[in-house]
Amino acid sequence: MTLREFLSDRLFRIITPLLCFTIAILFLRATGTQSGVLAILAAVFLLVFCAVQLSDFFSQRTRLRELESILDSLDRKYLFTECVPPPQNLYERRLFNLTRRAGRAMTGAVSDAQASQREYREYVEQWVHEIKAPITAARLICRDLDGEPRRKLISELAQVEAHVERALFYARAESPERDFLLRQVKLEKIAAQAIENHRSLLIQNGIRVETEGLNCTVYTDEKWAVFILGQLLQNAARYRGEAPVITISAHPLGKQVRLTVSDNGIGIPAHELPRIFERGFTGSNGRSRGGSTGMGLYLCQKLSGFLELGLDIASEQGKRTTVTLIFPAKQNLTKL
Amino acid sequence: MQKIMIIEDDPAIREELALLLKNEGYTPLMVTEFTDVPGQAAQERPDLILLDIGLPGKDGFSLCAALRKVSLAPMIFVTSRDAGVDEVRALSLGGDDYITKPYSVPVLLARIKAVLRRSFGEPEPSDILDDGKLRLSLTKGTVSAGGGTAELTRNELQILACLMAHAGQIVSRADLIDTLWDNQIYIDDNTLSVNMTRLRGKLAKIGLPDAIKTRRGMGYQL
Repeated sequence: MTLREFLSDRLFRIITPLLCFTIAILFLRATGTQSGVLAILAAVFLLVFCAVQLSDFFSQRTRLRELESILDSLDRKYLFTECVPPPQNLYERRLFNLTRRAGRAMTGAVSDAQASQREYREYVEQWVHEIKAPITAARLICRDLDGEPRRKLISELAQVEAHVERALFYARAESPERDFLLRQVKLEKIAAQAIENHRSLLIQNGIRVETEGLNCTVYTDEKWAVFILGQLLQNAARYRGEAPVITISAHPLGKQVRLTVSDNGIGIPAHELPRIFERGFTGSNGRSRGGSTGMGLYLCQKLSGFLELGLDIASEQGKRTTVTLIFPAKQNLTKL
Repeated sequence: MQKIMIIEDDPAIREELALLLKNEGYTPLMVTEFTDVPGQAAQERPDLILLDIGLPGKDGFSLCAALRKVSLAPMIFVTSRDAGVDEVRALSLGGDDYITKPYSVPVLLARIKAVLRRSFGEPEPSDILDDGKLRLSLTKGTVSAGGGTAELTRNELQILACLMAHAGQIVSRADLIDTLWDNQIYIDDNTLSVNMTRLRGKLAKIGLPDAIKTRRGMGYQL
């Protein structure tokens, strides 16, 4: 708050006493008071008046600054009214109480929302675990079938699983509690698991996967990393070109490890690149090929944030897409 | 025959799993009463226990501890919960391996085989495949026949090993690709054709030009 703002805010309250005082002086003068007395009177009045206004200004400014610093230091800003000292004057105290009551209603609403979100997440997780039993049974039953029908059914089941996994990770990513576990994992293991999970999709689309330099160790949550890599493989399969090849390669980058997944697919138009991580964004490729949910990359980015993975996508339309994942060095991980 | 105890509450999975293990040459033991699982294990003395840790009304982890008291059989945990925390907990409680649903059948069988081998010190699968005409050494990566010896690449080796394992049967291209993918060789159809041509070339040089027959529309046959 500047002095100017303060003054303009109180303009009326400043002008009124000044006006009254001027009228009083004029009246005293007309009734014959000496001008020397009037001058002293005017000087004293103005001095006191200015002093009162200035002291008001400074005390208000101090209080506002104090409140601002309290708000800044708060993690959950909506708890503000619970954390500030109540004001001294009656009117402000009443106002403050009103705000506090409103704040409490908000806090209640927030914690209700959080609770229902948690319950929803728990339900989704439980549902995912339950749906896995029939999928497992169906997979085992597929064994009894021969050749082509078995392959087709297994590939359909794999798609069901991919959708189920996405739902699970969506629930996990949207929820404030994150239950990942950072451990030392071989990239080979992550890649092999991700490829295995999407194997029927990859084989069916005639894709060759080449791996290179995956003999490195990274610190991450295995399941989450497998999921992220799986999403990238699914995208590469969906947006494949002629004679599709996916190359998964890793290079140490100082203490970090850089993993790149590149394909020779149809690529992403340059003007769409900035939007690919948006939730629900499908782009022209998604529209032309169908079956795109706009969730895969959104989830990848969200999960990468939790795992402190660097995620970047470069693409040349009609030629290739290269996704780079940078695994953090062990000592940089804050949540370990 | 090795006995494998299946502790699984979903009847469809339990029965299919039993059938699968039976076909693979194991003796499956199905647990259908979950009141006294450790007692049943003590009585039946299985060689391996497949334990679903998501049994209704029971904590699989405490069941595991109880089982450990009566049986020293290796245990593979099967679960549909796939949080990393659970895996660590399961392994620290004395599980020998951990596999999440929905598992793929070859993966499950491979894990069972590996755990049994680790626990009972069974010999590693033979390094030499020999069908009378051909002799394939898996570690050296060579194939020999009457006419000499040829070195094979990793891909050719796996293709030939798969054909030899099913000698006389027709192996489809899709099955060959599946087998290669099982061995972390992620090739496509064209690469398979190229590898097949090279493999045949090498076999021809050592005196077996027509060892691998093409069965049009069906696959290959050794």
